[in-house]
Amino acid sequence: MDYTQLNLTHRTEMLQAIGIDHVDALFQAIPESIRCTDSLDLMPAQSELELQRSLAEMANHNHGAHDMICFMGCGAYDHFYPALVDQLISRGEFLTAYTPYQAEASQGSLQAFFEFQTQIARLTGLDIANASLYDGATAMAEAALLATNTTRRSEVLVAETIHPEYLAVLRTVLSDLNITITVLESTDGTIAPSTVKANMSDAVACVIVQSPNIWGQIEDWEGCFNIAHETPKTAAIAVCNPIACGMLKTPGECGADIATGEGQPLGNALNLGGPYLGLLAAKESFVRKMPGRLVGMTTDEEGRRAFCLTLQTREQHIRGAKATSNVCTNQGLMALRATMFMTTLGSDGLKEMAEQCWHKAHYLAKELCAIDGWKLKHEGEFFNEFTIVPPFDVTEFVNKAKSRGILPGVTACGRRMQGLSKGNDLIVAVTEKRTKQEMDTFVEFCKEVSA
Amino acid sequence: MTTVEVTKKASRADKPTEPLIFEKQVEGQTGVDFPPLDVPKTEIPSGTVGNGINLPSFGQHDVMGHYTHLSDRNFSVDGNFYPLGSCTMKHNPRINEWAAALPGFSCLHPLQDDDTIQGALRLLYETRTMLEEIAGLHEVSLQPAAGAHGEFTALKVIKAYYADHGQSRRTVVLAADTAHGTNPASCTMCGASVQTVRTEQGQTDLEHLKEVIAHVGADNIAAFMITNPSTAGLFDVNIKEIADIIHEAGAMLYVDGANMNAMVGLIRPGDFGADAMHYNTHKTFSTPHGGGGPGSGPIAVTETLAPYLPVPQVMMADDGSFYLDRSREKTIGKVRSFIGQFGVLVRCWTYISACGPDGLKNVAETAVLNANYLAARLQDLYAMPYFNPSEGKFCAHEFVTVPRDLLDKGVTLIDIAKRMIDYGVHPPTMHWPVHDCFMVEPTETESKQALDHFVDVMRAIAEEISMDIETVQNAPLESDIARADEVGAARKPVIAFVDSE
Repeated sequence: MDYTQLNLTHRTEMLQAIGIDHVDALFQAIPESIRCTDSLDLMPAQSELELQRSLAEMANHNHGAHDMICFMGCGAYDHFYPALVDQLISRGEFLTAYTPYQAEASQGSLQAFFEFQTQIARLTGLDIANASLYDGATAMAEAALLATNTTRRSEVLVAETIHPEYLAVLRTVLSDLNITITVLESTDGTIAPSTVKANMSDAVACVIVQSPNIWGQIEDWEGCFNIAHETPKTAAIAVCNPIACGMLKTPGECGADIATGEGQPLGNALNLGGPYLGLLAAKESFVRKMPGRLVGMTTDEEGRRAFCLTLQTREQHIRGAKATSNVCTNQGLMALRATMFMTTLGSDGLKEMAEQCWHKAHYLAKELCAIDGWKLKHEGEFFNEFTIVPPFDVTEFVNKAKSRGILPGVTACGRRMQGLSKGNDLIVAVTEKRTKQEMDTFVEFCKEVSA
Repeated sequence: MTTVEVTKKASRADKPTEPLIFEKQVEGQTGVDFPPLDVPKTEIPSGTVGNGINLPSFGQHDVMGHYTHLSDRNFSVDGNFYPLGSCTMKHNPRINEWAAALPGFSCLHPLQDDDTIQGALRLLYETRTMLEEIAGLHEVSLQPAAGAHGEFTALKVIKAYYADHGQSRRTVVLAADTAHGTNPASCTMCGASVQTVRTEQGQTDLEHLKEVIAHVGADNIAAFMITNPSTAGLFDVNIKEIADIIHEAGAMLYVDGANMNAMVGLIRPGDFGADAMHYNTHKTFSTPHGGGGPGSGPIAVTETLAPYLPVPQVMMADDGSFYLDRSREKTIGKVRSFIGQFGVLVRCWTYISACGPDGLKNVAETAVLNANYLAARLQDLYAMPYFNPSEGKFCAHEFVTVPRDLLDKGVTLIDIAKRMIDYGVHPPTMHWPVHDCFMVEPTETESKQALDHFVDVMRAIAEEISMDIETVQNAPLESDIARADEVGAARKPVIAFVDSE
């Protein structure tokens, strides 16, 4: 079904109104030579019932967090979210609305985005946030551009311990813009402030540090950002995990000027990597250079509180080549899910969730380390994710685990993680969803393989 | 005689605005609970713990109430006619949502091994090949997250090709004066500069195109970005000549696929000489706009450009299994994390499979028919610079009107737009691609009754401008708020809520 709604009588009446006999007349401007002569070579149309069957069959050929015990993380996490999120988001008034350019017809979306912006600002401990970007990786690249644009400097310092895909995207985005990327080397899985110091200069636009980082380690944001701020105007950029912000020190508390991160853990499903949402928060002074959609609070002509898209003169549809970014959308539905999630949990719920992640991850780490030959890769503090090194080939181990219905984590070696490590490192994430029983099953399996 | 009525809501004076969540906060209440912790606690070092954040919460019933009330304050495709030009606000089939929510799709982690996600990879591979066929181009990348992101990615690919062929000096991109604002913005992000090519009567001015090429120097040009049908709502009759001129200059023709809805199944960009293009799945392929996203912007390119596409790419192995190729030698690298907007692409697959080849062709034909019907019914009151059926001048899937006669009576374009809201119609795109214009795109999924209703509304507003101009000047009268003070909002931006106490 192509979802058109005209019958033959309608079509005839409409052609008459236009004054033509056949719909082909409407296409006469197109030269014959470039028109399709045959039908497209596509599968024939399927009815909705057939679609339900074929889609269910394709979905059944996948295994994931719904039918396996999932310990995978590295930027995408299997967190709980309340059932009301799916129910509310499916309301057509949200689902099928467009970008709220017409404020008077879009107060619902606009207020929800305004609330989202405020929640993200509070969550990150900063003043303002935008209405979201594509994902964590592109948001981090936009944060770097925000810093280079405001400082007019051309060097970006990036921790080696950020997500390798984020670094890859940063390289792609900055590659034609005469901006140098300097990667800060880590010591035992984190960035030492002295390393930041050794690389600082007047040319540095920003220092980017992710915490918890790709290994799960909590970085010394305060130490690194203090060094960054010894050079006037250099922006301290924190890449954060929004669930961790519910419990750990926020980017703002640690002196960040800009915070960014992947918003997926806030009420969004894993979705094989997307759609997700990129978070971008900053100090007030960046407001006129922020990329992406911003919703502002204002009043209507009768003095009533109202919301509208604001500072649109930053944006591409007004500024063209001089825009702060080419982004002309936000991840509207994903941001709505995130705000619904945060409203349902509040600070207390988020803290509870974060603490359960902490305790469960530490329980599992402890149990795994009790197995002969297993050890943690790093000595530092971690939140909900840690790197464990079993005494054997980890790729084979992962295959065995899969056959037992376990996704044991992300292997750090190989191209999927951009060659992050060469060793037998396994990055293991534990969310509040994992039960003690599931973790014990995993530990028993690990013991069995080790024996 | 028209018989349309405005959508009377309870007077907004009697209808309070929905308080912000920050004003509804109830101490000690949340909307959800957690199971008790089932493992021993591990001490949390005080040095890592923050001072606590301040996110409001309240009981679950009131959470439902809050968002239900907010949803009541929105126009949507489901509830309103939404003729937003160049945005293709077509029906969003719910089978798409059903599909994307299947746990076998929604619960997959993006870093899982390929052998655990064969069904998902098959869906991606089929989406890729279907989009290649619809474009008439060699290879599609599903990576870009939105249309503008597709532009950026394709421009990167083109630049990488030239760099690889010793032509790095090709850093100028040509774009029509009616181009989407994202076109030049994407160029800037790729370190390319933009030269504007004039349009005449909504068609690319071939002479000016040649002049610009001569002026810039053919060897300096990377690409010409063109939207076809143009944003004036017209098929470019010279598109083949344009492609030839661009190729003669050694440059690439880039097609902004925003208006693909007028072409699917009828014309393939590859057949008229496109080297690269992007799709907007949220336009052509019915994935929901969601109040501004998520989009998805797959790009299609020729065999020449294919080696430079971003990674990963979904492939089919000789044994019929599917895998992600992460190691393309000449790739521009990664443009976003993980594998792309997978959930959006599930919806895209579902829509194309529902339509089939004949359905897609009917989509384009009906979209164009609907637009021409509206234009024909409204042209006596709403002047249309490019539409004149008696001279054989038709529009594509959208049309531009510059209602000068009505404006001369003392209303602004915005007055008319805001009055449309009172009739439950979302205003069309405004002031673009030319000043004082509406760009109207009804899409193919509207019924004749809906189209006729829109005609009645537009005629009623025209009549009001003659008989009762103040009503139009003061519109909207029936919406949740009166006109918002957008100037004030920009002058003193408040983009986060601050408690007054």
